[in-house]
Parts: sequence; C-alpha cells; structure tokens
Amino acid sequence: MVENLIWGYIYPNEAEIQWSILIVLYPYITGLVAGAFIASSLYHVFGKKEIRPVARFALLTALAFLLVATMPLLTHLGHPERGIEIMFTPHVTSAMSGFGYIYSFYLIIVVLEIWLSFREDIVNKALSSHGWKELLYSVLALFSFDISEKALHDDEKLAKRLAIIGIPSAAFLHGYVGFIFGGIKANPWWSTPLMPIIFLMSAIVSGIALLILLYIVSTVFRKQKIDHNCLQSLAHYLWIFLILDVVLELLEIVSMKYESLEEIDIINRLLSEKIATTFYGVQLTLGIFIPFVLLLLVGIIKNRETLKLIMISISSIFVVIGVFAMRWNVVIGGQEISKSLSGTMTYVPVFYSIEGVLPAIIILIIPFIILIVLTKILPPWKDMDKGVE
Amino acid sequence: MIGEIKMKLSRREFARIGCRVIIGATAGSAIIESIVTNSVASEDPPKGEYDWKEHLWGYVIDTRKCIGCGRCANACKLENEVPFDEPVYRTWVERYRELKDKDVKIDSPNGGINGFIDDVPAEEINKAFYVPKICNHCENPPCVQVCPVGATFSTEDGVVLVDYKYCIGCRYCIQGCPYGARYFNTEKGTADKCTWCYHRITKGLLPACVQACPVGARIFGDLKNPESEVNKILDKERINVLKPDLGTKPKVYYVGLDREVR
Amino acid sequence: MQPHLKKAFTLLAIAIIGFIVVRSFIVPVSFGQYGWYRGDAIIDSMNFEIRHAGSATCGEENCHNSIYSIWIDSKHKTVNCETCHGPSEKHVNNVRIMPEPVNDTRDFCGMCHFKSAARPEEFPQIDPDTHGENLRCAYCHNPHKPWFV
Repeated sequence: MVENLIWGYIYPNEAEIQWSILIVLYPYITGLVAGAFIASSLYHVFGKKEIRPVARFALLTALAFLLVATMPLLTHLGHPERGIEIMFTPHVTSAMSGFGYIYSFYLIIVVLEIWLSFREDIVNKALSSHGWKELLYSVLALFSFDISEKALHDDEKLAKRLAIIGIPSAAFLHGYVGFIFGGIKANPWWSTPLMPIIFLMSAIVSGIALLILLYIVSTVFRKQKIDHNCLQSLAHYLWIFLILDVVLELLEIVSMKYESLEEIDIINRLLSEKIATTFYGVQLTLGIFIPFVLLLLVGIIKNRETLKLIMISISSIFVVIGVFAMRWNVVIGGQEISKSLSGTMTYVPVFYSIEGVLPAIIILIIPFIILIVLTKILPPWKDMDKGVE
Repeated sequence: MIGEIKMKLSRREFARIGCRVIIGATAGSAIIESIVTNSVASEDPPKGEYDWKEHLWGYVIDTRKCIGCGRCANACKLENEVPFDEPVYRTWVERYRELKDKDVKIDSPNGGINGFIDDVPAEEINKAFYVPKICNHCENPPCVQVCPVGATFSTEDGVVLVDYKYCIGCRYCIQGCPYGARYFNTEKGTADKCTWCYHRITKGLLPACVQACPVGARIFGDLKNPESEVNKILDKERINVLKPDLGTKPKVYYVGLDREVR
Repeated sequence: MQPHLKKAFTLLAIAIIGFIVVRSFIVPVSFGQYGWYRGDAIIDSMNFEIRHAGSATCGEENCHNSIYSIWIDSKHKTVNCETCHGPSEKHVNNVRIMPEPVNDTRDFCGMCHFKSAARPEEFPQIDPDTHGENLRCAYCHNPHKPWFV
C-alpha cells in the first residue's frame, strides 16, 4: 500500500512523513495570535478609534490561542517531558530554539496588556461582588484597588508602551516560525528568505479574518447591534494585508519558476500533482482571490449594510480556510517532495492517532472554549455595561 | 489618539530612558551569560585511552567497486540496533539504471538489504551502477545547526552524534539533513543516525559497514594520518562529495560519482 | 510607580528568578563541557555494545584457525566471517552462545554473484537460470575457498 503513495525515487528514510497535521496547526495558531494582536494594536497603538469595539476582545482572542500554541508541538514530540530543555539549553543557531523565550516574552506582554486594560473592570467587580467571585477578582487585581484617575492614566501609558513592544514581538513570534521553514536549505520548497514575511502577512490576514468572524458571532449571541463602521474598517485592513500577502506568495512562485534551478522539475510536479487543489484552488482562489474581489466590492458599494455584512463574513471564512491551506501546502507540501529531487511521497492523515486529525480538531476547539471562559471572567464589551459610546 | 502616541521626549526623560536601557541591557546580558556559561568549556578529552584530538575521521566510497550486495546495510542494522523491520537506515545502497531511452530509474528496495531484483532486461539498459549512501558527517552539519536543544553535535574527531538521553524528538534535524541520512527511532522516541560506529572506531576497530564490504568499496580512515588509505585515495583520485553546493562540506568522499547521483 | 504595578513586576521577577534556580538544578553537569551538548553523551556513544567481532578474532587462540588459514588464502578473504555467519561478539565472549546458522541458499550467494547489469563487469557473476541446475552453491563450491569453473 505504501508503494502506491510513492512516485519516483525517495531516500529510504523518507518513507515516513515526519511533521504531521499537528505541525500544520502550530503556525496556523501562532498566526492567529499574531494577527489578532496586531489588529488590537491598530487601536491601542495607532489610535484607530473605529476598531475600539473589538480591541479588548482581540487581546483575549490572542491570549486564548496563545495558551494552546504549545499543545500541538508538545503532542508531537518524541519526548514531551524533555520539551523544557528548549528553555534550559536553547541552541542559538537553531531557529526553533527561540521558541521558548519568544513565546514566554510574548505571553508576558499579552497578559500584562490584558491586565492593564481590564484592571478598572477587575477592581470594580472585586469591590462589588461577594464570596468566591470577590476572591477571584481580588487576586486578579493583586489586592490593589487603586483606580484613581492617576493610576488609570499610568496604566494606560504602560499599556501603550507594551503594545508598542508587542507589535515587533508579535511579528517576531510569527516571523521566526516562517524562518524555521525558510532556513532549511535541504528543502527547496521551504528554503526562501521570503518565508518569514509571507508567514507574517498571512498571519495578520488570518488573525483579522478570525476576529471579524468572532465579532459577528459574539454580537449575534449577545443580541447586540453590529458596529458596521468597525466591521468595515477591519474589512478594509484585511483587504490591504491580502494584497501584500498575495504579492509575496506569487513572487515566491514566480521567482522559483523563472530561475528554474535544479529542483524546478520536482517543484512543478508538486504544484501540478500533489498540492494542485490546495494550492491553486484553496490557497489562492478561495483564500485570496475571491475575498479580494468581495472586499473590493465592500469598499465600493454604498449603504446596503446587510449585503456587505454577508460579503465580509464569506470573505473572512474563506480567508481563514485559505490560510490553513497555505500552512498545509508549506508544511506538508515541503515534505511530500523527496530531498533526492527525484520522487514524491503522499501524506495520508490518520484520524484516531496521537498525531492524527482528532487531536488536531480538539486542539483547534480548545481556544474557543478558553475564549468563552475568558469573556465570562473579563467581559470585553464596553457597550454591554455602558451602551455604545 | 495618534497625537498621544508621539512621545514627547524632554532631554531629562531621554537621559532617564537611556539609563534604563543601559541598565536593562547589562542585567539582561548578565542573565544570558549565566545561562550560557553553565560550566567552563573543558580542554580535556573524554576519559579513557582514546584521544579524540589525534584523529579526524574520513570515509571514501568507490562507487566503481560496489556490487550492490547490501551486506553493509545489513551489518549496520545488526551492529547498531537499528529497528530491523522498519524502513529506517543508517546506510543504504542505491541502484541507478540509465535506460536506452535516457530515462533514469533509481531504487533502493529495503535499503538494498535483500538485494536487488533485475526487473529491466539488460538490453534496455544503457549504463547502471550502485551507489552506497551513509551519513556524510559534514564539517558544517545542518542537522547540528538546527537542533534546538544541543542534543546532536560534532565531536572533536569529526563525527556527528546524537544524545539519546537529551533529544526531545522534534525531528527538525531530519528535516534539515539534505541527504536523508537521519531517521526517527520509534523505539527510542528520538532522532537517530549513523555514528560511523563510534563505539568501534574509538577502540581501533572499523565501522561495521566497512568491515562487511567484500569488495573494498567502503574505505574508512584517519584524515590526520598522512599514511592512511583514505588520504592516499584523496591524494590520487578525482573525488567528489554529494550536494557540494549546499556548503555542508561532507567528509564522505566519492570516487566515480555520476551526475545523476544526489 | 503605582503599588499594583510594583506587585505585578515583583511577581514577574520572582518567576524569572525561580526559572533560573530550577534551571541550574536540572541542566546536566556535563552540559557545555566541550560544546553546546552534554559531554557525557560521548561516553555513552563510546560505550555502545559491539556486535561484530571481526574475522581476525575467529582465527585467534586455536578456535577456528584451520578454517581460518584456508579462508585467508582464498578469493573470499575479503568477505568477513560474520557476513555469512552473523554477528559473533557474544559468541567470542561466551562460546555457548552460538551465532545464527548460515544462510546457504542460492539467493544468499546470489546477492553478490547473480548476474546484474549494475555490477562491475569483471566481478564473477552467474546467470541463476542456466548455472548450477538450481543446486545449493556449496554443492560444488567451497564457500571458504571458492574456485571458478
């Protein structure tokens, strides 16, 4: 059976695909984190007021996904109990070794940022509630209940500085994930200096799209009115980053084909036989081209808010799927070509297995549960308490 | 809002921030240093009679001699506890057959351990030959470069080893090796690879594959010893290495390498 | 600085110091001895068990020296004993532990000697369909001192 999955000659050790669907999930999840954070910083740093309704929600989304980002990696390790070595003895020449520190640094930034922007609410809840709730919120407030004008002002100043640090570290968090692949000279499909920036752009794109979807869904659940101004502004940013994303992705393919180095035959075979559907179909057409046109129309059409809402929702769904396909095409596609450059393998996902589809689905569901819990503890909707400002 | 983020810096504030940056940088580098310099790097070789500073191991493969019997790959699996029935190999033999229609067929069924079946009639074959493959123990090994925890390393005598008690099993090294020489050992839960039989060569024995080769297609020796057979071949023959353009500087040298071999 | 910020940063500092302390206990002592790896890993690799004893060992100490002296003068002197007889280091250390029985099928000899286009032409090869009437090779050929018909 294995023989049917192999075409041409592959090195004997390559029969097994080493990085499974879980490793597809890892850049996908960190991408959503980086994208959501950068979306929130559009408000926190660049002062785009129209994004305010989702700014705090975006931070919670980033945290929810950040908390599960390590899970696909740990599940995949041969020795998960040794995983902490990556922090104890990080080998600096390895792109992967940065993971522990970059991740921790970013986690600290996100938690501090959330804490500072929710502190007023936390203190108010601690003062107004009783029993275990009082205890919970008091602990969250670190038993300091000073919400004077000056204290809040200091908080805001610090939050802004953190957000300024946060943008490069979000870019770094995801750029380095791109470098994990881009720095592998052994693999012609991965090895390109464009990889980090392609990963970053698609991360921002997927993060904004996810934020749009979550915002729409949560507003429907809360039976609130959608802030169309905010939504269309997000859609506008999504459109801009989509352009950057598609330019870079096409640039990579075009230069690969134009230069036609030794590996071009196997790359052509990869694109035309192995990942043709997921690359041309899902990643480029569904994930970029259709949303691009729809969002362009959203920008042109006047009024007709419901139609725009539908078009934005569809675009966002397509973008989120398309970026997943992009991660798949990079991670799995790169492993489907033999480093002998004269053969291909096929990755067949298993459903029930420690590295199979089931754990991948579970890991993708957990952040949404975390997000629901987080929004219960720290409601990010200012309009819920005070009405639309 | 945009106006607010423009940080108005007075000279005093600037100095204050500058001081903080300097203090932060020194404290940060002190912390990093405490992490990096765990113990002072030792100059002394590992215990025992073997002195790794006196050797630099090298390996020559004469593809013109190889008969494709696969005894090397077989001996390797038996010597090194490589899972025998799994498709993982520390060394293997490839067969190249250039047909009359210029089509090139490459294969290596079970690494050559069970021999090769002649499934193409001799009349259709233009030229054919075997090429043994093994870890190149690169001078500039990409696998060591990408290991995130320092679980694989180059020894002083030029051998790339894996620390099975330290490897976390992330398989980045397997992705990083351009030669497909690394594999994942499911029994150990770690990456695994050829050691040039480090347990043998440090006791004056030959690697199992070299000892098993009946035609002398595999030659192992000390590059630091000018009289070694390896050095004599390197001085006399026209040699090549695999994928020289990747800059890995392999220490497995090939005699009679065809352009089709990658 | 506001007291709540002081508390937050103190917590952070405690976490970082805790990490450094835990790390200093857990990282192996020999890590960094020679480079960015565990120095004792080299000893581990050196101490791996040897399986192949080598042909010279077989001829030593009056064990198999009669067959050894025949073999060492033959065309098959380049074929290590253990290539056919199996890894024998255990047998050398304890004669009661026998190596695996020899595979004396035609196919085993054929791994080297069946005709193949990829083999060097000067290497002795036979066509298994026309040569030897499907008999075991050792019926005519002494594997320890082969000759050519």
